Amino acid sequence: MDSSEVEFLAEKEMVKIIPNFSLDRIYLIGGDLGPFNPGLPVDVPVWLALNLKQRQKCRIVPPAWMDVEKLEEMRELERKEDTFTPVPSPYYMELTKLLLNYASDNIPKADEIRTLVKDIWDTRIAKLRLSADSFISQLEAHAKLDNLTLMEINTIRAFLLDSLNCMYKLRSNLQPGSSKGQFTDY
Amino acid sequence: MPCERKPMRYGHSEGHTEVCFDDSGKFIVTCGNDGDVRIWEGLDDDDPKFITVGEKAYSLALKNGKLVTASSNNTVQIHTFPDGDPDGILTRFTTNATHVVFNSSGSRVAAGSSDFMVKVVEVSDSSQQKTLRGHEAPVLSVTFDPKDDFLASASCDGSVVVWNIEEQSQLISWPVLQKTNDISNAKSLCRLAWQPGTAKFLAVPVETKVHLYERGSWDHVSTLSDDLQTQLINVVAWSPCGQFLAAGSVGGSLTVWDVNSKLCVERQKHEKGFTVCSLAWHPSGSQIVYTDTEGCLGLLDGLSTSTSNTNTTKAPAKKAAKDYDDLFDDDDDDRLMDEGLSETNSPVKKPITGDDDDDDDDFLMPATGRVRNRGAILDDENSLGELGVLYIGQNLPLGEEGGISYVVVPAAAPLVPMRPVYEGPMPTAPQKAFQPGSTPAHLTHRFMMWNSVGIVRGYNDEQDNAIDVEFHDTAVHHAMHLTNSLGHTMADLSQEAVLLACPSTDELASKLQCLHFSSWDTNKEWMVDLPEGEDVRALCLGQGWAAVATSALMLRLFSIGGIQREIFSLPGNVVCMVGHGEQLLIVYHRAPGFDGEQALGVQLLQFGRKKRQLINGEPLPLSLQSHLSWLGFTAEGTPCYVDSVGVVRMLNRSLGNTWTPVCNTRETCKSKSDHYWVVGIHENPQQLRCIPCKGSRYPPTLPRPAVAILPFKLPLCQTSTEKGQMEEQFWRSVLFHNHFSFLSSSGYEIDEDGQSQTQKEQQELLMKMFALSCKLEREFRCVELAELMTQNVVTLAIRYASRSRRMALAQRLSEIALEKANQIQEEEPEEQEEEPEYSGVRRTSGNRRDREEEEEQAEELREEEEDGQEMETEEAAETTKRQFHLFSSTLFANVLMGYVQVLGSGKPSSSSGLPRVTNILDNMTSSRKSSPLSRSAGIPSKGPVLKPLAPRPKTKTQSTLLQMNGTKAASKKTPENTQPAADQQKQPEVPPPASPADNTENNRPKTGFQFWLEENRKSITADQPDLEETDIIKEAMGRFRTLSAEERLSWTERAKGQTGDAADLKKRKRAGGGAENDNGQVEADENSSKKKKSLDPSSKLSAFAFNKN
Repeated sequence: MDSSEVEFLAEKEMVKIIPNFSLDRIYLIGGDLGPFNPGLPVDVPVWLALNLKQRQKCRIVPPAWMDVEKLEEMRELERKEDTFTPVPSPYYMELTKLLLNYASDNIPKADEIRTLVKDIWDTRIAKLRLSADSFISQLEAHAKLDNLTLMEINTIRAFLLDSLNCMYKLRSNLQPGSSKGQFTDY
Repeated sequence: MPCERKPMRYGHSEGHTEVCFDDSGKFIVTCGNDGDVRIWEGLDDDDPKFITVGEKAYSLALKNGKLVTASSNNTVQIHTFPDGDPDGILTRFTTNATHVVFNSSGSRVAAGSSDFMVKVVEVSDSSQQKTLRGHEAPVLSVTFDPKDDFLASASCDGSVVVWNIEEQSQLISWPVLQKTNDISNAKSLCRLAWQPGTAKFLAVPVETKVHLYERGSWDHVSTLSDDLQTQLINVVAWSPCGQFLAAGSVGGSLTVWDVNSKLCVERQKHEKGFTVCSLAWHPSGSQIVYTDTEGCLGLLDGLSTSTSNTNTTKAPAKKAAKDYDDLFDDDDDDRLMDEGLSETNSPVKKPITGDDDDDDDDFLMPATGRVRNRGAILDDENSLGELGVLYIGQNLPLGEEGGISYVVVPAAAPLVPMRPVYEGPMPTAPQKAFQPGSTPAHLTHRFMMWNSVGIVRGYNDEQDNAIDVEFHDTAVHHAMHLTNSLGHTMADLSQEAVLLACPSTDELASKLQCLHFSSWDTNKEWMVDLPEGEDVRALCLGQGWAAVATSALMLRLFSIGGIQREIFSLPGNVVCMVGHGEQLLIVYHRAPGFDGEQALGVQLLQFGRKKRQLINGEPLPLSLQSHLSWLGFTAEGTPCYVDSVGVVRMLNRSLGNTWTPVCNTRETCKSKSDHYWVVGIHENPQQLRCIPCKGSRYPPTLPRPAVAILPFKLPLCQTSTEKGQMEEQFWRSVLFHNHFSFLSSSGYEIDEDGQSQTQKEQQELLMKMFALSCKLEREFRCVELAELMTQNVVTLAIRYASRSRRMALAQRLSEIALEKANQIQEEEPEEQEEEPEYSGVRRTSGNRRDREEEEEQAEELREEEEDGQEMETEEAAETTKRQFHLFSSTLFANVLMGYVQVLGSGKPSSSSGLPRVTNILDNMTSSRKSSPLSRSAGIPSKGPVLKPLAPRPKTKTQSTLLQMNGTKAASKKTPENTQPAADQQKQPEVPPPASPADNTENNRPKTGFQFWLEENRKSITADQPDLEETDIIKEAMGRFRTLSAEERLSWTERAKGQTGDAADLKKRKRAGGGAENDNGQVEADENSSKKKKSLDPSSKLSAFAFNKN
């Protein structure tokens, strides 16, 4: 799974938009959307919101957590705690990236938010690396991954699995080549 | 000491806040974590002035028009008050100051800082500083000795120190506090306070108690404590008289002690239990204002110190005297005082100071006695007369005089309503004209209009004076940016145009500018100058027209292209004005309002083809002490408005243009100072579109506010109960349904789906309420509800009632059903021009008044009916037919049946006597007629309105006709309408065989069994309600077989008679009549046999019927 796929999943999240056109309810496989009234907020998936935004058909209302003060608080908490703290949205990174890239004019203090979310992300990834490190160095068999988002798991997965494989190879005295099929132990 | 705790309001963002009163007590001044100092004109001031002093403000002090603040840039600054101009930096620390205070004269400021130092600075010359060193931790608080010799400070090192200011030395130190290393870790702020006036005591909050140290000896003389006080005391404050001490604690409790008696005289609790971090007394001693660490501001009002005061007797007098004193001090300037008055009051003109208190009291006695007497006997006339003199002498307008009610002198007395002013109702300042959907004009960035079409924003700052027009729906027009060279202050926006207006200036007349962007020619703009001396006060746009109300009490109409149209005078100064389609709604000042009320009048005009005034100058109902804050039309065109209390009212056109409150936006507000700024109302769907504003009445332009949707809720009683909820839903639905009739009557297209939907919803609600009332054994209520139902729902109700074994109820309901059928029939010819869709509710509400007239005419009508009975009957039947066809096609056949029977019984009525009735419910109604006793027992007086036509021998046929039509349709319909609901399992693909759906079915030859089934189907379904269609037929077959041969024969014969078909009606009339007779007998037999068999509810019904026969 690569990050674009995770982003694709994130696009299913709902976000509020204020359309500037009028349209009746539309019926899609994923569910009904609308009705769209000009000036009245309505919930739509991110993919539609971005599409409409790019066509200048709507304004996006940023999610409640996308607020400097709340994010600052979250950042502090994240820095203070050793474990992962709950994140505002399971797709916070992806949503921030998408919304700030396409609708930064609708989001107050977009730059600050970008920095804050990046800070939170960096803190979390650092924690993740640290715990991966201790996981490997202490030869643990399993780890608890509470409050991790899909994107975060995804970032570490390729590296972690490969390195575990490598470690395994190095640790086992088996000849290279005959170790196939035993990776599943981890 | 009784006092009233006012609800908390939002003051600042979260964090430490401080509060004080200004010298006059007129303003509350707060500072907070957001770096602003706010100046509130009272707790309800939603638009306080503010002075930004830094990023954070830690402490403030205010005296003699100088505002001293400790801000985050480590300085102590001065600002002028109330203007807020910076007036220099008083001193600096290496870190931020924690507490600043003035001395009693206002000449010096002391500041404690986190860098362990305390500085005392001369306000006039900031170079004269005295630094007090010795604390070993950040300073928590400082306080001046009122006599200016000493200074006390508390510090995080746990000590409370008294300093000699001149010598800059520590006099004494008490290690009474807990040690901490920083203010943020300190459990308590330990705000010290020195008793004002005599300066005898220094109050030090120590844990849950307050220690009092005596000046001079520095002994700990007493401790104020309260058993209920379990939390650390954060802050203490002396009352201006020095007799009371208030303390606020970490847990939010507020305590007031009488220092002489050491008794706790008042306990209050912060409504949310937040830490009280600042506390201040009103200069008069009647109020305490406090703030908490969450940034909220609260007030204790009505603190009267008299009850526990030993000096009570002289207190009010002193107060009054001082009042007078004040008054005359004011006068000294103009020396216009009445001689006599000055003589009588001359003693009190002596300056009063704290030192010569005793002398003063003696001196005051004569005046005291007089004043107190007057207060006691309430000799209003006398005082009024004197006041008159006073006013003449002073040449002061009444309004200004009212402002002197605040006493500047720190009085040792409670506030007594002894103002030397007129005490009757005071006129309210009339509210200014405004554009609904705009924010105040003094803002540099403001909304000039926000309505359902779009947003007009005005910018008026140094760089730019411009107007932005933006449309919600970009399909209307693209956004526009205009330079505002004329200085427009008012705007309106519609689908066709933007209308702007500016007030007149010295050189230029007031102008009206219209950007008619929907125009198809190239000239999209026009401008009109108003006559000199006439200013635009309000403006609005309708469809194809624009209206402007001016300062000359004139209303000018323009066409949207710029042609001047009608002009007329307004009865008062306009408040605001809105247009929608052809309608114009104007609100103006009817008269001056009194005691905070506004006296507004409203006019509703309709243009278009038939121009008329729908509401002519009726008073506009507002909530108490409120003003109009929004006026508009719903998207469907019903006028509505919002007052400043947040109540939304809507015009109820079906109740003689009354105003119904439909929503209270304040109920959904989280905090008292939050408001909703309404931008639009929709009736279908029911939406109140508004912008939530935290801590203000209107939104800022940035960040761009988002619209929220509130539901409507009629303020009915007990909406927590199921009954109340349903009632509320029902009446709301009725109210929001009114626009359909308005729209259709004014020739607009209506959403018929929506209309039928709401009707259905209403009827469903009625049925639910009916069921609920049934369950609660409220039969009278059931009947009342049934009167609101449409006829076919009444039949449903009848069925429900009979199922739940409420025979009396079912009987009464059938009367109502009959009544309704009657009504429909009578009204049909009159209402031909109306649209065919009927709403039962509208009927009952709209036509009830007509009905009384009809009742009066009933006698006449009957005479006529007798004459042309034959004709009448046919005609009536015709109309019935039409009527029911419109109701539903399935009923049509039933009605035809009734029609046939009517025709059958109509002519030969003389020979056959009373027509034999074939239906259970028919029987019931006639049984009622024959037993009026039971009726009067059940419902003593039903009122003339609902009284059915009395059966008179001569008009028997007529009444029978009605009865037949009504009940026939009703009873026959019952299985049809109820089966889908009641018998869910009924298979939908089976056609309803009992009621032929159209003429063709009626024409088809039938067997005797089918006829019998038709007649008895109901009783079968009633006996075994859960039978499926095929089972019903099986059951019916079985029963039919049990009939005797004779009976079966008669049914077959009847069937043959029927098959003769409706083509030759005349022939069939007689035959039909005969068949009817047979039929009746047969059924009677059937019923009698059944009666023995079962005691089911509906068989009980039939038993009832049989009794009659």
